[in-house]
Amino acid sequence: MTTTTSRAPKPATTRRRRPFNTRRAGAWALLALAIAVSVVPFLWVLRTALSTNGSLASQSASLLPADFTLGAFMRVFGLQSPADAVAEGGSGAAIDFWLYLRNSIIFSSITTAGAVFFSAMAAYAFARLRWKGRNAVFSLFLGTMLVPPIFTALPNFLLIKNLDLLNTMLGMVLPYVFMTPFAIFFLRQFFLNMSREVEEAAMLDGAKHLRIFFQIVLPNAAAPLATLALLTFIGQWNEYFWPLLVGSQDDVRVLQVGLGVFKSQSPQGAPDWSGLMAATLVSALPVLILFAAFGKKIVNSIGFSGIK
Amino acid sequence: MKKSLGTAAVAAAIALSLSACGGGSGSSAESAKGELSYWLWDANQLPAYQQCADDFQKANPDIKVKITQRGWDDYWSTLTNGFVGGTAPDVFTNHLGRYGELAANKQLLPIDDAVKKDNVDLSAYNEGLADLWVGQDGKRYGLPKDWDTIGLFYNKAMLSKAGVSEEEMKNLTWNPQDGGTYEKIIAHLTVDKNGKRGDEAGFDKNNVDVYGLGLNGGGDSSGQTEWSYLTNTTGWSHTDKNPWGTHYNYDDPKFQSSIDWFAGLVDKGYMPKLETTVGAAMADTFAAGKSAINAHGSWMIGQYTGYKGVEVGIAPTPVGPEGKRASMFNGLADSIWAGTKKKDAAIKWVEYLASAPCQDVVASKAVVFPALKASSEKAAEAFKAKGVDVTAFTEHVKNGTTFLYPITDNTAKVKGIMEPAMDAVVSGKKPASSLTEANNQVNDLFK
Repeated sequence: MTTTTSRAPKPATTRRRRPFNTRRAGAWALLALAIAVSVVPFLWVLRTALSTNGSLASQSASLLPADFTLGAFMRVFGLQSPADAVAEGGSGAAIDFWLYLRNSIIFSSITTAGAVFFSAMAAYAFARLRWKGRNAVFSLFLGTMLVPPIFTALPNFLLIKNLDLLNTMLGMVLPYVFMTPFAIFFLRQFFLNMSREVEEAAMLDGAKHLRIFFQIVLPNAAAPLATLALLTFIGQWNEYFWPLLVGSQDDVRVLQVGLGVFKSQSPQGAPDWSGLMAATLVSALPVLILFAAFGKKIVNSIGFSGIK
Repeated sequence: MKKSLGTAAVAAAIALSLSACGGGSGSSAESAKGELSYWLWDANQLPAYQQCADDFQKANPDIKVKITQRGWDDYWSTLTNGFVGGTAPDVFTNHLGRYGELAANKQLLPIDDAVKKDNVDLSAYNEGLADLWVGQDGKRYGLPKDWDTIGLFYNKAMLSKAGVSEEEMKNLTWNPQDGGTYEKIIAHLTVDKNGKRGDEAGFDKNNVDVYGLGLNGGGDSSGQTEWSYLTNTTGWSHTDKNPWGTHYNYDDPKFQSSIDWFAGLVDKGYMPKLETTVGAAMADTFAAGKSAINAHGSWMIGQYTGYKGVEVGIAPTPVGPEGKRASMFNGLADSIWAGTKKKDAAIKWVEYLASAPCQDVVASKAVVFPALKASSEKAAEAFKAKGVDVTAFTEHVKNGTTFLYPITDNTAKVKGIMEPAMDAVVSGKKPASSLTEANNQVNDLFK
């Protein structure tokens, strides 16, 4: 925290040609503060993850890890015996990290790919096709965004149960894989702004809707599709309740649910903070990597669609 | 909010399971073999039970036991979902606050026949524990595994700084009028930001540095660790009879005056405000030096003594107006799901869990007190070997100053009514007399 605040304003003052400017310095200070506010929690997570649970509470004011140990990370990867974990004040429960990671990747990838593709088709229909009752259906669709997910959780659960799909990847994926109202809304806004001339030219050349969709609309919408895919992926990666209900067995349990063992153990007991923080860091990594790789694209696409 | 959604889902799931399930019986033809699934919530006990499972498998090579630990927060919702979905574990750790409803909904397998046939000695358990698991229909739904009572964890350094001897701490008295020596000590241990103690002139109750007494929460319907160790020294009890009472007594003036005193501690600045307890573990705040005394259950011994750099002592709860101490006596048991397909193997495993070989293993880890008398004593020894004096907890059992966790129907609904009602009182928004109204709502459930 202290390093970022003191270092950040420097470029403004030491840069050669520009004279000192209070407004500029103020902007830098604000930026530094914003960075500090968003980065410090991560540092705190890291610091907690590297601490021993038993020392955390009594050294709560120290910025450095309390009683440095890598035990929490070993716990996450299942490298620590339950007895050692308990001795460190952690959770004696082991999680099968790599298996859960695999499940999380499968779950998030399938739902993302499905939702983006099918939503694109639906958005195309809502934006480019003319049919009776289109706007009414679309409003209805948007209206479903108002229904809290908890309302549909139980009926969905019973449906999946009656289909005999409990504890299967298919059962976990089904409620998400086809479409989400938000995705349709998001893509429809983009498709509405695409030029009709290109489409009409294609029609004159004899292209049907399927071909227009695949060869013109989809390639032109690469940026918003990528944005949507990333947003969906992050959302699915963090999904907790549904996977908890449906995928409780090891072979389909996802990482977020697996991490729950660090959260609470006995009633009124304190959570295994360092284990929880270590696990959270590790499970956030894939998303951070994705963001680092595609972040620019997102910003571009949002800017792109915003200007238009 | 998350919690209330969870309870709603659980309640709905139980209601649904009534119609959805029913095919539990008729599986007795299967012999005792196969893979059993077993659930528990306390990760600290996992190593002990894993060893029990290993020993059990050695003796019964045809049976495999797969243990799954699930945190308390998700335990009951996933369990009831499992009942509905047919994926519940064969055997699971059961809680007194929940089993009445599970039994009423026919989710638990009665084990009377097996207990009789295998000559399980029910008198070997600590008094009353085995009887707790006989349901309203007279059938037995579990064998006891452990028990817990309430004690006062205190910070030794703070006590000696305040000049309070451990002897005083062990001989506290309490009454709802002036709080007795208990309140005096709590006040004396409270320190504000200027270093003034709670019983000194000029004490600033709005800027408290160390609270005399920690607060876990409003205590909802049972007040297990919060206030029941006080309210029940006045001769008050939660229900007309226990187990299976049909009338709650939250309208009793004896109860309400005790709660008024309890909520008054917050007002006097001796106990943290209720809103500050949300999301924080009371034990962690204690270790951080924010409170001097915490009333907590024996299952927390490991947590309190595990903190580095904090010296912890344990005193018995104070003696009340009726001249006795009081502590809620709660026990867990292992129950079998009615829908299990491996009934015989499940019974074998439950009986093993409730037997001396397994409970001695649990005792040796010094985490909780096993239900068997002999194993209980071994656990006390194991605690002693670790340097922890646990007589504050065992004394209650020895002197018979325990009362049972209130077991009734509708416990989830009772909790749903009492939790906001108690929170309103403890946070100072309403007087304790408002609990009469909540009590009427509670008793309407039994009409």
